[in-house]
Amino acid sequence: MPDDKAEEPPFRSGFEPRLRGARAECDGGAPVVGTHLAGRQDFAGRLTGNYRDFGPYPWRWYLMTELTKKPNGYSLDAVWCDSGNLTILDEDKLSIPLVP
Amino acid sequence: MSGPLHTPLCDKLGIEYPIVAFTHCKDVAVAVINSGGFAVLGEALHTPDHIAADIKWIRERIGGKPFGIDLVLPSSVPEEKSVEELMAMIPPEQRAFEQKIKEKYNVPDPKVRPDIHVWGGLDQKRALNQLEVIFDERVPVFASGLGSPAFLLKRAHELGMQVWGLVGKPRQAKKQLAAGTDVIIAQGFDAAGHTGNIGTFSIVPQVVDAARGTGVPIIAAGGVTTGRHLAAALALGADGVWTGSLWLASRESDVNLPLKERLIEAETDDTVYSDCISGYTMRTTRSPWHNEWASEEAPEVLKPPLQMILSSNYIQGSLDYQRKDLMTEAAGQGIHYVTEMKPARQILSDIVEEALDVFDRFANA
Repeated sequence: MPDDKAEEPPFRSGFEPRLRGARAECDGGAPVVGTHLAGRQDFAGRLTGNYRDFGPYPWRWYLMTELTKKPNGYSLDAVWCDSGNLTILDEDKLSIPLVP
Repeated sequence: MSGPLHTPLCDKLGIEYPIVAFTHCKDVAVAVINSGGFAVLGEALHTPDHIAADIKWIRERIGGKPFGIDLVLPSSVPEEKSVEELMAMIPPEQRAFEQKIKEKYNVPDPKVRPDIHVWGGLDQKRALNQLEVIFDERVPVFASGLGSPAFLLKRAHELGMQVWGLVGKPRQAKKQLAAGTDVIIAQGFDAAGHTGNIGTFSIVPQVVDAARGTGVPIIAAGGVTTGRHLAAALALGADGVWTGSLWLASRESDVNLPLKERLIEAETDDTVYSDCISGYTMRTTRSPWHNEWASEEAPEVLKPPLQMILSSNYIQGSLDYQRKDLMTEAAGQGIHYVTEMKPARQILSDIVEEALDVFDRFANA
């Protein structure tokens, strides 16, 4: 019997309404694929409130859109940012915890 | 043991000298650890099984001394695509420019397919699989070379592990201090590979100030290749130094010989902060590839990972055919002081002696 069960995504999705529209900066970056190197990338924009939790810790990532700052050549208008590297800029949102 | 080089970092790790070697070579790591320093092995590119084997290999050779493993955790991630989809996205103008460089410098085709062409992704899922090995093995020190390790602190501490974070901005340090990171590495612009845009002499004291009263040791990184750098880092308030380029040309290093020669010949000016290799800005040694992409007729550099796909054949070809004239490697501005191929033990003792001379000079002034 064929296994038609779709592979589950490696994350759990969620939404934090209080962060919707919050201005934020992300000290981002990623490993350079195929090498032992890495690169830094800075972003600024607004959080949508959508998040993804990876692993049991959880390792939480927020979706940032309406980018006002992004690296040269970055053609998209959205990026997922690790909560540990996010800085919230709106004073009324500063007290909202980024992780549970 | 006491003396000007004995810092809280030495006590925290049980080491003799506050010198941390960051290396991708197991032999270098073992040599430094057995000479009284500390070593962190970079494993970002490796599979979980490979990482487990390396940990076992090191443990068998260091007699219970501590060591560290570094992974590069991502901190921002764009959309996912297959390598084939990405290769098809490279525009004709950039393809033609790559071909022009290849013909101008007689760049050979690689013997083996570059790693990036069989890339399986470097996303959060892969990082989590690597982390599980680090936890299973209870590695004494886990160092995060890019992203914040805040999310894994609780579990690491429950297992008795230390967690170190490398930062390029004071605000990153403040966030990591607040989260409970055990040691902060303050990395300046002088460093190899990915760096922030703040110089070592500026970022180190700012991070030291941020950590004042917390008891968290700060390690200075970026351009550190001599005992004078070590003495200066301690004078800035750091508790030790993080060194990388220093070990690339060491006798134990597995870097191939022509590239070691290239690094020994390199001057500070030969390191370039450019995005032409990967699309990310990073400091690497200058090569014809860099010069061509800095020329007026060069097209726009592509975004990651397209630029890395574009440069991968050039880099792999230079390595496969030992073309020193084409090679490039991540190296910091301190490379000027890497002038000969010495055993790692001697490199370490030379730094220690020079730093002690500095402190003696001040003591006798």
